[in-house]
Amino acid sequence: MTRGAGGGWRRRPIIAFERLMGVMNAVGTAWIFVLMVLINADVIGREAFAAPVRGVSEIVSLSIVGIVFMQLAHTLWVGRFTRSDAFLTRIQARWPRFAGGLETVYCLTGAILFAILFWASLPFFTRAVDIGEYVGALGDFTAPTWPVRLIILLGAAVTSVAFLILAAGHLKIALRGRETAG
Amino acid sequence: MSGLEIGLCSLAAMLILIWLGMHVAVALTLLSFLGVWAIKGNWVVASKLLALAAYDSIASHIFGVVPLFVLMGLLVSVSDIGKDTFEIAHRMFHRVRGGLGIATVAANAVFAAITGISIASAAVFTKVAVPEMLRLGYTPRFATGVVAGSSVLGMLIPPSLLLILYGFLAETSVGALFIAGIVPGLVLACAFAVLIVFLAHRVPSFVGGDEGRSVSANGEGNDAGALSLAIILAKLGPIVLLIGLVLGGIYGGFFTPTEAGAVGALGALLLALAKRKLSLRGFWQVLVETGHVTVSISFLIIAASIYTRMLTLSGIPQFVIGGIEGAELGFAAVLAIYVVIVLLMGTVLDSTSIMLVSLPLILPVMIGFNADLVWFGIVTVLAVEIGLLTPPLGIAVYVIASTLDDPRIKLGDIFIGAAPFAAIMLLVLIAVILWPPLSIALVY
Amino acid sequence: AAPASAETYKLTAAAGHPPVFLWVKLLSEFYIPEVDKRLAAAGADKIEWTEAYGGTVAKIGGVLEAIEEGVVDIGFVGTIFEAPKMPLQNVSYVCPFGSADIATVSGAIVKLQSEIPAMADSWTRYNQVYLGGAALDSYHLFTNFPVTSVADLAGKKILAPGPSANWVKDTGAVAVAGNLKTYYNDIKTGVADGVLTFTTGAWASKVFEVAPYVTKVNFGAQFAGGLSINKDVWDGFSPETQKIFRDVAAEYDVRFAEAQQAAADALLAKMIEGGAKVSELAAGERMKWAMMIPNVAKEWAATQDAAGLPGTEVLKGFMSTIKASGADVPRDWSAE
Ligand code: NA
Ligand code: NA
Repeated sequence: MTRGAGGGWRRRPIIAFERLMGVMNAVGTAWIFVLMVLINADVIGREAFAAPVRGVSEIVSLSIVGIVFMQLAHTLWVGRFTRSDAFLTRIQARWPRFAGGLETVYCLTGAILFAILFWASLPFFTRAVDIGEYVGALGDFTAPTWPVRLIILLGAAVTSVAFLILAAGHLKIALRGRETAG
Repeated sequence: MSGLEIGLCSLAAMLILIWLGMHVAVALTLLSFLGVWAIKGNWVVASKLLALAAYDSIASHIFGVVPLFVLMGLLVSVSDIGKDTFEIAHRMFHRVRGGLGIATVAANAVFAAITGISIASAAVFTKVAVPEMLRLGYTPRFATGVVAGSSVLGMLIPPSLLLILYGFLAETSVGALFIAGIVPGLVLACAFAVLIVFLAHRVPSFVGGDEGRSVSANGEGNDAGALSLAIILAKLGPIVLLIGLVLGGIYGGFFTPTEAGAVGALGALLLALAKRKLSLRGFWQVLVETGHVTVSISFLIIAASIYTRMLTLSGIPQFVIGGIEGAELGFAAVLAIYVVIVLLMGTVLDSTSIMLVSLPLILPVMIGFNADLVWFGIVTVLAVEIGLLTPPLGIAVYVIASTLDDPRIKLGDIFIGAAPFAAIMLLVLIAVILWPPLSIALVY
Repeated sequence: AAPASAETYKLTAAAGHPPVFLWVKLLSEFYIPEVDKRLAAAGADKIEWTEAYGGTVAKIGGVLEAIEEGVVDIGFVGTIFEAPKMPLQNVSYVCPFGSADIATVSGAIVKLQSEIPAMADSWTRYNQVYLGGAALDSYHLFTNFPVTSVADLAGKKILAPGPSANWVKDTGAVAVAGNLKTYYNDIKTGVADGVLTFTTGAWASKVFEVAPYVTKVNFGAQFAGGLSINKDVWDGFSPETQKIFRDVAAEYDVRFAEAQQAAADALLAKMIEGGAKVSELAAGERMKWAMMIPNVAKEWAATQDAAGLPGTEVLKGFMSTIKASGADVPRDWSAE
């Protein structure tokens, strides 16, 4: 994976976009810490004060989805999506333009799939807002689901764009040869 | 095309796309999308399946603590607690070839009593053990293979989420299953140790390691006796504290194995701070790294879940297992075919899905044969867990690759490194099948 | 009948729970074969089924949406897990200490669904047609300490997820979250001292091994969900096929109630064999317990009313049906 997909084609909008991904990544990062504090508060509350934090289970379930979609694009950007790159590494040395072409196809595929995910998830978000969808139980603990549904939309959109930018970078290699080495 | 043909085509296509280097999760999602589109004849339905799975595949309390187990592993690693522990282990085992590999297996067996999921074991020990083994000259294949292989102990030695799931599906005592898992778990750990010694002597190029030579760069001696008791205590103290906190907390009834991830992470954080090994900036970097590992694992889990749903819709699992049911074979033949099918499913499906897909169909057959369901549970979990190590979709291997993030160590290397351990699991599985007391002697 | 127009449909049936649970088992072992049998006998349409239970296609809490979107065609929708989308179907969970009779409770919901349009609408709104329902056997208390009075609960940690948390509020017990899959471990390790659950669920999760004191509090049977089919698929059926699907569903309803009740009784006996100590909570203590907890039903009805749903009407209708059945109801949640 070409790390950071840097190179001569990096322009201002892309820097701004990188910043957006960085902020989302930071939010997801902080969220993990909050999760740790929350679960420990529940354990200590329950064991020491007979006062568990209600809803921790529901919050943890929703949080992991939120964290993942907050950090999805950045994880892609820094080249951390799992893949088997033995074959690619080999052809990159011999036929860099062919490898660039393959990478372009892979990234476009990713961009399209995340665009589809965005489109298919949109109605679930609007409905969650409309009906006030929640987790938990009335009279006990409830938390709305729309924030996480919104984060899925945001994460899918940003990841789709990130895939597009990466595809553009690889396309250049495919067309002009190896000028932006990874 | 029928559902079965669509499913088979997608299996072939998956092998090719992963080999060609497409992001694994993207390949799985693409093929699931196309597969459901073909099965249902409607691409909107296929897109909705993606949206449903994105929301609910990982949305569980059990999965939600995975980042915290990752965080615990990273903190143990950056605070040098892991390094110190392995240094002592190295000094103790330095006369045994492959000693650090054995130490890793032993540490995993202890950790297995803490966690109910193998992913947690793999994530923790990738950061703790692999760098130390590499530093001491072990080959990347061996170092990662040991971690991948021994991570399966987490599901065999109680607590184990897979055994709980089996208890549900088979209406069998979870307590009995837990007890039945202990001996096979320990046998497996010992078999791994024997394997490591064997490999170290017979195929030293596969194992590597520099036992017998000078241990550390700064010229310290290589004998445990050269270390004062005070230094040993200082180096081992933190890990003993951490294990005591987590094991004591779980078995003392203060928190669940699920919550243990959070408590362990907090404990590791406090230890790292006490050791003055962690700056605010360093901690932030650890958290960022935790996020990236979590995302990369989670995206794979989501994609694998989507793929499972597509395969189920194609009718392949129902067709295959239903085939055994209808064939009216003898017990031994049914069992053999079942194990082979589970191993094959293990190459492409995740553990939970295999059990959910196959057990409801095969259990009535087993009950018909009057098979012992506790024994069958251990057989099933062992067979299912081999799938964690087999390509193309070996979750334990992927977790190690995500956590390690070392471009020099390819996915294929980890699969090759894990292969001997998968083979040993197969042998232990056969032993448990042929000699049921191995699993159920303690139960009845 | 017009066999000339007979068609073959490919349908996927799904459930979030595995077939060890009776509502799934009956779908697979009774509903589907019986529909096939009757269709064949009538020379009508033919169905090719794909079955996907245990959350292998749609997870618990995801079946309603999966049917709505056509990912699966027919399935068991657990209304307990769809409370935000189907609030009215969950009325029994805010009316604890009701009837232990499964048929009475599921019958009450069926009656309300036929009488109150808003209740039937909650299915059509999600593009599906309700076929038949199922209620869980009565909830009881499973603990690792003996219970003879409410006072025994003071300071104890009781697993009571979701709406059942309100059943122990103000009793001195601490409600702890969990689910069928965690109960066993949670009690074994001491994270909790007991659980509020139904007998068949207690059997499946084996909690009686670690919480052998079974106190029959009788919180009442609870409506859990129903079989439902995608509306587009349904509209594509001939009236004859539709009738067969409905008839068999009505029978599913009846068989389920009978079988679940029988299973609950039989499993309780098996638990006693396995060492469980079963006792019944004295009527006076049950009354005391019921009076001790807050009236969540009222709050629930007000919330529904405010959302434009007939919450109060459903609550009154439900309570009156339960009381009319002759059940021992210590507190009328709708009358306050
Ligand atoms: Na374990
Ligand atoms: Na595999």
